[in-house]
Amino acid sequence: MTVPRSFPVFAVVFAAVYALAYVVCVEKNYALITYHPAIYEFGLGVQKAKDGPAMYWFGWMATSGIVAAVVAYAACWLPEGLTKRLWSGWSWAVPVAVMLVFCYLLRSYFLR
Amino acid sequence: MFTVLLIVHGLLAVALLGAITHQAVSVWSPARKPAGSFVGRFRSVPPTSYANAIVVLYLITAVFGAIVYTEYRVVVRVVLEQLELWKQNGAFELKEHFAAVGLGVLPAYWYYWRAPLSGEHAKTRAVLTALLAFIVWWNFLVGHVLNNIRGFGS
Repeated sequence: MTVPRSFPVFAVVFAAVYALAYVVCVEKNYALITYHPAIYEFGLGVQKAKDGPAMYWFGWMATSGIVAAVVAYAACWLPEGLTKRLWSGWSWAVPVAVMLVFCYLLRSYFLR
Repeated sequence: MFTVLLIVHGLLAVALLGAITHQAVSVWSPARKPAGSFVGRFRSVPPTSYANAIVVLYLITAVFGAIVYTEYRVVVRVVLEQLELWKQNGAFELKEHFAAVGLGVLPAYWYYWRAPLSGEHAKTRAVLTALLAFIVWWNFLVGHVLNNIRGFGS
């Protein structure tokens, strides 16, 4: 299977931006969709809970995925001189950092 | 129905756990000579052959997990909060976020495991594999523990 020459740029930028966008979406609650599991109902955007809890996880991933795809696609159009210098390690360094941020944000669960 | 989905989710997770652990061990501690022992053979698998299966298994396991999560949110989490099991609740919160972060890493992971392997990106490949292995192990263990707390069919 052949992949476009710009795919590594897309993949690295996507991994980094997705992780960053995800933590922002969780903190600011930028959910593209809301799911109401008690009544099996999806809703567009952030909605208040009705007849049970509201789930934003799907919405956070959707928002992050779209943001990351757009930014990564745009990065593919940058001059090759710039993209050649892109460190492939950003694909793991940013996600690892974001995971540590989540450990910090959720620390209250473990310190009670 | 959710019990069946949970069991399928668990079985897929076992397959994923085995594949990613094989690959991670063979990358971080490769066998230097022909393997004779069980551990040696465990370390000497060709790691490239696992990459596509790991991506597919991760995606399918995540889809099943996402479906089961909706039931968890209504039935299990409420009980954990009533029992004041905050650490367990927090561990699950981390599980959901780690799983989401892992999804974003998959394109890069897949690309850097494509044959022929690039020596220039060996470190990136190894760390991405370790990162996914950590996520899969964390999510597997947390899911297992929480399932034990709530109990089968209760």
